[in-house]
Amino acid sequence: MPFLIAVGVIALILILMYNALIARKNQVDNIFAGVDAALKKRFDLIPNLIASVQEYMTHEKELLSNITKLRTEGLKPNLSDTEKMALDQQVTSALGTLMISVENYPDLKANENIINLQRTLNETESQIAAARRAYNQAVTDYNNIIEMFPTNYMASWMNLTRKEVFVIDEHERENINVKELFNAS
Amino acid sequence: MKSIGELTDFYYNALYPSLKALEEQRKALAVKAYKIFALIALLALSGIAVRWYYFHALDLLSLMFVIAGAIGAAWSYRHIIQDYRTEFKMRIMKPLIEAIDDSLRYTPVATVSQSLFERSGLFQGRIDRFTGNDLVQGSIASVDLQFSDLHVESVTRDAKGNSHRSTIFQGLYIVAEFNKHFKSQTIILPDSAEKIFGNVLGSWLQSKSFGRDRLITLDNAAFEKAFVVYGNDPIESRYILTHTLMERLLNLKQSVGHNIYVSFVDANIHIAIAYNKDLFEPTVFQSLLNYDNAMSYIHALNLAVGIVEELKLNERLWSKE
Repeated sequence: MPFLIAVGVIALILILMYNALIARKNQVDNIFAGVDAALKKRFDLIPNLIASVQEYMTHEKELLSNITKLRTEGLKPNLSDTEKMALDQQVTSALGTLMISVENYPDLKANENIINLQRTLNETESQIAAARRAYNQAVTDYNNIIEMFPTNYMASWMNLTRKEVFVIDEHERENINVKELFNAS
Repeated sequence: MKSIGELTDFYYNALYPSLKALEEQRKALAVKAYKIFALIALLALSGIAVRWYYFHALDLLSLMFVIAGAIGAAWSYRHIIQDYRTEFKMRIMKPLIEAIDDSLRYTPVATVSQSLFERSGLFQGRIDRFTGNDLVQGSIASVDLQFSDLHVESVTRDAKGNSHRSTIFQGLYIVAEFNKHFKSQTIILPDSAEKIFGNVLGSWLQSKSFGRDRLITLDNAAFEKAFVVYGNDPIESRYILTHTLMERLLNLKQSVGHNIYVSFVDANIHIAIAYNKDLFEPTVFQSLLNYDNAMSYIHALNLAVGIVEELKLNERLWSKE
């Protein structure tokens, strides 16, 4: 009888450990789906943004074509999570440069359509930033559980490996005041 | 919106004639109240003395004299200050609130509705008594805002059938329009578990909190130490709680010095500040011209109306118009 109880307890612990690992792994996948949706929303904004600015921005042709290229890359099927994360950084940086360049074109800066686009883009960037932070927390929880004793043994048996987090720029942590930056209104 | 300095000037200059008239009324009332208290105390003591003289007993009945005296004193006090209280609210609070911003409307006898309180999801448990006063409604920098004093209680019965009231919340309750679109629910509560049980056990207990959504761990250590956050969408909770907003909420907690509860539900921010007392009430035994009393009204009003500015709810950086 005591032997059966001991086996039962060990089996229960193993089941709980297995379920906890699966829950953390699925949490990471679920939140990455959220990141993906936010990134897709930003990609959808790009054609409209490029169309609105390109007739004014004659000196930034290269930047605009780079953004279009990044968008095409980003919409390719079968991209890995790591590739998507790398592309996200490049798109964020390119769009940031584009928005700062808008400052040099007073007509553009005052354009109602551009102001609306800037607000929508700003909103999408905030959603992406939030998704990245949620993803990083989920990955931290996941990395912790696969490295902590005793779940680390089961994790290696399940072939679960460490995942990378998004690199969050210092300036993003500070939440720069976009209104001041663009002086849009 | 006027600054604290401007409001203090307004209180002592523009409101001075009203304050002076009310101050006379207050002094007379204080004397009247002392007389009534003395009379009631005398009656209660006489009752006790009679009981002792004739029956040599200091028993439950003697205690009843004291309780009846206390109830009588409280009732009489409430009754005699009623007119003075109404006049104070109309002659002092109303102009003071209107001086902050002329879009603000003040209703001394109304409160933020119970449905708006329940919608916040901040406090659990059945509400049996919902009271309050001093409702202020308006729009600051195009942000709709309302706040009032609230006292929310539940009633429980013990084995003997005696009912006991327990306070769910007492303090200032503020509802304002939030400047971002969101569909989920995010609830921020004071972090008592981590304070009592430490980080590891505390956060385990928080994650097991029944009746709450999922525990959201945020990337700001100071915020995590002060608050516990529950939400049904971890991405949207972080979309609302940016690093800047977390800092601003921490500042707000520090400046208030009381427990604060915040929730983001149905396009609005709900803030409950547990002062554990009724604010905006006139003093009877202290002068209305007393600086500390004046500042307590001005600070509480400035804090409630200043939420819009403090949390930058008027910033329209996003697509929400």
